[in-house]
Amino acid sequence: MVNVGVIGLGRMGMLHLMDCLHIDDVKVVAAADSSKKALNKAKSFGVSRLYTDYHDLLNDSSDLDAVIISLPNFLHFESVQLALEAGLNVFVEKPMARNVDECRKIVRLVEKSGRKFMVGHVMRFEDDIVKMKEAVDKGVIGKLEVVTVEEVINGPFSHPRVPSPVAEWWFNPEKSGGGALLDIGYHLIDLFRFFTGEDCGAVFSCLDYRFNLPVEDGAILVLRSSNSFTKGIINVGWYQKTIYPKYDFNLTLHGNAGYLSAADFRPRSLYVHALKEGTKNLLRKLFGRKITPLSYTYYYEAFYKELKHFFDCVKDDLNPSVSAVDGLKTIELIEKAYKSFNEKGRSVD
Amino acid sequence: MANVVSLVRVQSSEKDIKRSVLEAIHLTGFKPSESVKSVVIKPNLAYYWDANTGYTTDPRVVATLIDYVREKCGGNVDIKVVEADASAMRTKIAFKVLGYEKLAEEKDVRLFNLSEDKLIEKTVRVNGLDITYKVPESLLKSDLFINAPKLKIMKIVKITCAMKNLFGCIGTARKIVYHKFLNEAVVGINKILHPHLTVVDGIVALGRHPIKLGLIMAGVDPFSVDWVASQIMGYKPSSVKFLKIAIKEGLGKTSDVAICGEKVSEFAKVFPKEGLVSTGSLWAVQFWLLKTYRQIVGDIIPPVFEE
Repeated sequence: MVNVGVIGLGRMGMLHLMDCLHIDDVKVVAAADSSKKALNKAKSFGVSRLYTDYHDLLNDSSDLDAVIISLPNFLHFESVQLALEAGLNVFVEKPMARNVDECRKIVRLVEKSGRKFMVGHVMRFEDDIVKMKEAVDKGVIGKLEVVTVEEVINGPFSHPRVPSPVAEWWFNPEKSGGGALLDIGYHLIDLFRFFTGEDCGAVFSCLDYRFNLPVEDGAILVLRSSNSFTKGIINVGWYQKTIYPKYDFNLTLHGNAGYLSAADFRPRSLYVHALKEGTKNLLRKLFGRKITPLSYTYYYEAFYKELKHFFDCVKDDLNPSVSAVDGLKTIELIEKAYKSFNEKGRSVD
Repeated sequence: MANVVSLVRVQSSEKDIKRSVLEAIHLTGFKPSESVKSVVIKPNLAYYWDANTGYTTDPRVVATLIDYVREKCGGNVDIKVVEADASAMRTKIAFKVLGYEKLAEEKDVRLFNLSEDKLIEKTVRVNGLDITYKVPESLLKSDLFINAPKLKIMKIVKITCAMKNLFGCIGTARKIVYHKFLNEAVVGINKILHPHLTVVDGIVALGRHPIKLGLIMAGVDPFSVDWVASQIMGYKPSSVKFLKIAIKEGLGKTSDVAICGEKVSEFAKVFPKEGLVSTGSLWAVQFWLLKTYRQIVGDIIPPVFEE
């Protein structure tokens, strides 16, 4: 049994907690959050030890094997450091940290600790991405030439149908480390690295500040991989008003022998998909079998899969497929993009 | 006496917005008192989505109102652009994100969060229901109160325009507590607050989706403005419950409503009306299905849908 502590019970932390309830041999025994409401909810899921300060959870972690950290960005480095020093395996939500400096320190801490460490690069676990990666690796589209990937969502502004106050730390660059590029672009840059399997050598960026905030609310990046010179076009933004199941995510892989589009790998109708998968789970439940959590949502299932992968690695002593170095490389590219923009749009090698 | 509601067609250029707003006001016959010293302008900043989405009032409309006030009441008049916090909206962020900070700087006016004002508790009886509000003092004390709503539909009360925008003036952020009796709550706040002028931003309106409607409406009576607005948005005014309650409570008379300027039908024919089942209702059904599924199967609903 893997005993787990969940640090941070915002939307992501709570989702991770609920996912854990469906993973075999994983038990959430402790949770920390400054919100009593969130802690009460955790209690309703059977979590026995509740803390309003995550330091107390870590000081009381002798029976824990791992922690899931879903705190605001400015607390990632400190909490990861303390958790690793406490001898715990760590899953941390993206971004790994606010800047390259913090990320480098985390890489060193992970190496020194010898513990399992994974960053929540959840998109790598989406069904469409997994299938596209398999196809690219098999050479189905020849040499990968251009990766075009875009995602435009609400960002920290919730949809009025599901209102919740905006997390204001997002608008303080000191605390957040950045805006839409760090929030959403982080995933898309990681996908570029995932598909090319290489580091990136060049960045050109155009950032947008339409909301008059000190952090960017939109960004367009042009990337180029170091060895094969695969190009990447990345378009992210916080400015769109959509709510699930609408999801403005597009990915096209252009190769010299063909192309792949994520839309071709996804269900045509997410409503039909939800009905189909929901019915399957209903039947599983009726026949006493284990359900597949969140499969009806298509996209949210990836959160369950990434967490399951992490705990499988903890249980079987394997290295998670997303490492601290992946987090570092992604943040390095984001810093390059900020630098590129600040130097008036010039390319920075 | 007739309550004139004016309808003026507008293009989206700044110059044309100014022309249209001034023409719409002129058609209503409204003239501010010369003794006006303090003015509040209440746009609809219900959320962080800008005027092009159809959710919030275009700052250019408010800019014209500021110029108008200065022209009519003198340059020394104290003008405040006001909004109150809501369940999921913080005024200070909305002012910044929606371009109102920039406007305040350009026009040298104050932005004011009504939730930080001295709040006066007031109770009114509506439709047999006693409703208590915390009302910002500034609104009660101002010499001139200009209401600058957006033209949009809303699932619970069908339309949100002049009368509903005053609901946004309630000082407490958790306005969601009024949602169980929202029709009565809208009428109640209109029994307390009485704007002298309403200028509606229908440049981009919100129906099933945003639409470039190209409309500026104005009137001195919020009830009359909503009576006309509901027709543009595809609802028979008599089917809008808060308008019916308003009549019962003596807040408006249908026989007093007079329209001048463009024809209602010109805008009504292009407005993207709700279908038989509203998008809000479809969402509610979807949400109910999710909860039922969770209860039976034990699956997870992503927390984003539960708040």
